[in-house]
Amino acid sequence: MTAWQNPVDTVTQEIIEGKLMATVDEMGIVMARTSMSPVIYEVLDFACGLLTADGELVAQMNGITLFTGTFGVQVKALIKKFTGNLADGDILLSNDPYAGGTHACDFAVVKPLFVDDKILGYAINVAHYLDVGGSVPGSLAPDATSVFQEGLRLPGVKIVRADVFYDEILHIIGENVRLPEIALGDLNAQVATVRVAARRMAELSVKYGAGVVRAAFANLLSASEMRSRTAIAALPDGRYTATDVIDGDGVSSVPIPVNVVVTIAGDSITVDFTGCPPAVAGPINCSRGALQSAVKTIVKAMVGPQDPSNEGWFRPLTVIAPAGTIFTAEKPSPTGWYYEGSVHASELVWKALAPLMPSRFSAGSYSSLCVVYISGKDLSGRPFIHIEPQHGGWGASEDRDGADALIALTDGDTYNYSVEVIEARFPLRVKRYGFNIEGGTGAGRRRGGFGIVREYEILSEDASAYGSFGRTVTQPWGMDGGGQGTVNALQIAPTQGGELRTYGRVAHIDLNKGDVLRVITGGGGGWGDARKREPLLVEQDLRNGFLTEAQALSVYGYNREVSG
Amino acid sequence: MIRLATDVGGTFTDLVGYDESSGELFTAKSLTTVRNQSRGVLNAIASAEEACGLRTRDVTFFAHGGTTVINAITERKGVRTALVTTAGFRDVLEIGRGNRPDLYNLQFHSPEPFVPRDLRFEVRERLDASGKVILPLELDDLRPIIARCKAEGIEAIAVLFLHSYANPEHEILCAGILADALPEVTVCASHAVSRQWREYERTNTVVLNAYVQPIIQHYFERLEEALMKRGLTCPYYAMQSNGGISTFDQAVGSPLTLVESGPAGGVAGAARIGDAIGESEVLSLDVGGTTAKCSLIHGGRPTLNVDYKLEHTRIRPGHPVQVPVVDIVEIGSGGGSIARLDDRGALRVGPESAGSTPGPACYGLGGKKPTLSDAILAIGIFDPATFAGGSMHLDRQKAADAIASVATPLGMSIEDAAIAIIDIAHASMINALKLVTVQRGHDPRDAVFVVSGGAGPALATRLGRDLSVKATVIPPHPGIFSAWGMLAAEPRADFRGTWFSALTADALTELSARFDGLEAEAIAYFAKGQDADIRFTYQIEARYRGQEHGVFAQYSREDDVQSFAERFHANHERAYSFRLLDAGIEITTLHLEAVLNGPVITLPKLPGTDRSVDAALTGHRDVYFGASLGWLSCPVYERCLLGPGQSIEGPMIVEEATATTLVQENQVLEVTNTGILIIRENSVKAG
Repeated sequence: MTAWQNPVDTVTQEIIEGKLMATVDEMGIVMARTSMSPVIYEVLDFACGLLTADGELVAQMNGITLFTGTFGVQVKALIKKFTGNLADGDILLSNDPYAGGTHACDFAVVKPLFVDDKILGYAINVAHYLDVGGSVPGSLAPDATSVFQEGLRLPGVKIVRADVFYDEILHIIGENVRLPEIALGDLNAQVATVRVAARRMAELSVKYGAGVVRAAFANLLSASEMRSRTAIAALPDGRYTATDVIDGDGVSSVPIPVNVVVTIAGDSITVDFTGCPPAVAGPINCSRGALQSAVKTIVKAMVGPQDPSNEGWFRPLTVIAPAGTIFTAEKPSPTGWYYEGSVHASELVWKALAPLMPSRFSAGSYSSLCVVYISGKDLSGRPFIHIEPQHGGWGASEDRDGADALIALTDGDTYNYSVEVIEARFPLRVKRYGFNIEGGTGAGRRRGGFGIVREYEILSEDASAYGSFGRTVTQPWGMDGGGQGTVNALQIAPTQGGELRTYGRVAHIDLNKGDVLRVITGGGGGWGDARKREPLLVEQDLRNGFLTEAQALSVYGYNREVSG
Repeated sequence: MIRLATDVGGTFTDLVGYDESSGELFTAKSLTTVRNQSRGVLNAIASAEEACGLRTRDVTFFAHGGTTVINAITERKGVRTALVTTAGFRDVLEIGRGNRPDLYNLQFHSPEPFVPRDLRFEVRERLDASGKVILPLELDDLRPIIARCKAEGIEAIAVLFLHSYANPEHEILCAGILADALPEVTVCASHAVSRQWREYERTNTVVLNAYVQPIIQHYFERLEEALMKRGLTCPYYAMQSNGGISTFDQAVGSPLTLVESGPAGGVAGAARIGDAIGESEVLSLDVGGTTAKCSLIHGGRPTLNVDYKLEHTRIRPGHPVQVPVVDIVEIGSGGGSIARLDDRGALRVGPESAGSTPGPACYGLGGKKPTLSDAILAIGIFDPATFAGGSMHLDRQKAADAIASVATPLGMSIEDAAIAIIDIAHASMINALKLVTVQRGHDPRDAVFVVSGGAGPALATRLGRDLSVKATVIPPHPGIFSAWGMLAAEPRADFRGTWFSALTADALTELSARFDGLEAEAIAYFAKGQDADIRFTYQIEARYRGQEHGVFAQYSREDDVQSFAERFHANHERAYSFRLLDAGIEITTLHLEAVLNGPVITLPKLPGTDRSVDAALTGHRDVYFGASLGWLSCPVYERCLLGPGQSIEGPMIVEEATATTLVQENQVLEVTNTGILIIRENSVKAG
């Protein structure tokens, strides 16, 4: 199908596309403002979208890159399961990692949008729940070895029928999660967002007719497809490869080598992960849905970064990967920390393609979200769970130093947590939040950006922590002769003068009152030869305290006396 | 007894004056003088004196809106500023929130901070979240900072300590020492600008405040001096972003409150128009050259944005500031917005604008690209000969030629392409207008729709029809409405502070006492003594326990837990479609709006007339209403010749110097006794 062959005039097309974006944005606003979970309202770990009746994404809010490609797979799985069994007023719930989902913590709420007794499309809202049961508070045991340790799974159930909540399922959720009030509050918020979408799409259909709206969806997808093909066709045909190492799986710290072959042929692109190892014991595996998403993220970055995302952009893409690998895990492989695996699939494609299009890519970044869970009882004895992804250094690009303290590729419009808000809510005191100058960054004609150091003093008698940090051994890559970036680390400085302990992926750390938990994130890789860095930029780094005089001399060959 | 207002815009400085005793009106326009805006203001005053006999000595009220603050920020032309903050946190300003709204851009960077790292200094001190001192302020740490500031030629210092919203004592102490040691330097402490939590947002707020304060201080001094010299010696007021005005001295204390002063003038004007016709729900739209701005007035009061960010877009995080700013949604569709075909052949309008130079193609100043104004001219709404009071001749052929550049590839006639351009601009305006109404739980059918700006009245009645508003209202002087709105604004101050508590009877008692404290601050702010006639409105931001973001609900001094809870539930449901009756309610923020009562602008009554409406008829013009209705002949009326109480059925056109109003078929225009145009659907005919 090519654009404009159906009965939608260009003006109506433009107006309908504007309405789709306004609708997904509105869903996002409602979610962020009504959610009960800090991971949702503060970190914005959720996304909303609209799909066609066939489950093809047509509009998505700005949220999280990792959900770029999961919506379609999830909704298609639900369509398959519920064909002929959906009525107006139904809302579905699914958190099945193997059916397009990501991990059990991500609850997808999907509403079929009926117009004149026919399905016009689907609205979806996926949000990360604070806790869904399982072996540890927060549900993400870094050393889980099976999905049964990762909490309640509801792989496609009707949560609402005829616009009424189905109490039995609410009851099951309430009884199986640690913080039911929050979980049910978030479910309420999610349902409110898909209902908003249903209202807006009904208005659109009344105004233009459902046939026109459907045709506008098709036009949008084929127009994006055309633009994507044009961008790919402009790249040189060829076979591009990359390798990387994942630093342990949470159960063992044995390095895990991974690889990709990307083939550009004419206006299509094939990404082949054949040769990657089988699913590992620990929960950093991802399923095929998350893998698709990880690859689509980089394809979108290359072909049209600022344009609204939809499935059309990805029609020229084929992803090949045998079943049962670390990137295509199957039941019952654990996937709780799936983004620690999937980000490496993204980075492989990124690394393979970066030399082809320096104007759109940067060198390697700190990569891992470096998520830490701190939980226990607060000073009045009530349970608390604090989850936080951490920001870090990004790689340099051809003409600019890398970005400092930015959220990893996996997330997107994801905020760090306000220190003042944390201290008002949790028995924690933040001692320091600043650039990780000590750790440094990848040197280069353009250097990498800086990571951060964030220190928490534990104020509670009863607290413990866990986390799963990647890139704790294998450094972010440099480009074009630029230096490698630096690594992430989780440290504990015990109050009673014990030894400083350093971790990467760790299932349990007992904490004492007064202990300091330190999150360190790495700096990005450099781009180009460090010796060619302009003295002016070295001086600026010296002035800002990013470099010492000794480093300036040894790394950049800069000598204040000589340069004057 | 003349009230005078000047509004400095990007291109023009507008002046409106009104003599309340004689009913005389003075208007003038001069080119904005970018480097020193006060020159343009003086030019406008001089021109009003010469052209319409403005008597400067009779001016008793002078309100001023300008772009000095926002220009200094967007052009990065503030003063050299340093930051003093809690040890361990000097990078907070640069880290920001670390979000990447530009999701697929692998080269994304956070916005540059306004203070570079080498001018951000740390001091050992610490409070906890309740305001308790954990570590006393280490005074010795200030000595090297003072020395550095001297050596670096620092002109302003911002001070932010963690949790100062709960207890400002360390900030007060530190700011005092710095001010004593550096008497030439402006020192701003965060608690004096914002009492809200979130350290990055508050740091950015105090930094920007410090960054522009010396600039605005200097600017007001120069302006005052120049006004005095001209014999204009009444009190001077600055238009603030909250829809109210403040004295120049007050504005210098917190200059960031001036950040959106121009648009806020329009909102203040719309509120005044609503009041004049007895409507408390007003949806306002101002269509300028580059953008259109809309806002909602609810319960007679402008709504404030709780999350205002400068330079924020869909893909840029922007710079959040914690100052009260009228909630304005701005979109890139204005009279100068350019229509083009994108790389897949779809028609787009804006956000690129032809601005005032070269301007729309029809201006004949060299613009070749079709704009929204060209489309409005092409379908016959504007008269080429009388546009802008005849001061500017529009070239209809040039407009048609420019539109042909999109019409030909689309296989459309010129007039159909013109309608298509208007339709697209119309749709994005509708999305924005729905964002401030429907999406925030307000029904446009309850509101009147006040439309201003050069191109606004030409588009207003169709927008109003699509939104099913109660009535579309064209105020007096729609082309210089922001300046007119400043005449209508009242002295206002907002006091907002984070205070965290569960909603209980005890909490309400304490809260009442806290509002007493805020009232005392307001009384001191206005410096009019205990007897000052101040109108207080109390707002509380509350949320369900577990939520982070709250909803504002009005609080009354008589409220008990139940009555306030009910109002909160209702507001939450209106905003977000549900209530959680089992969840506890928490208070997070108190907000006091204080408005100093005083005389507000009266609207001059139109002289009665026994002439018929035909006396105002100046001719007929064909207007294209789209493919189904085609070209219709519309009678054209001169606004200033219309009499009170007259009513005319559409389709028709009303012309005046600064705007042209189109009334659709099946609509009726009514002229109020103060000359406001009210357009309603002709229900008899439509039904």
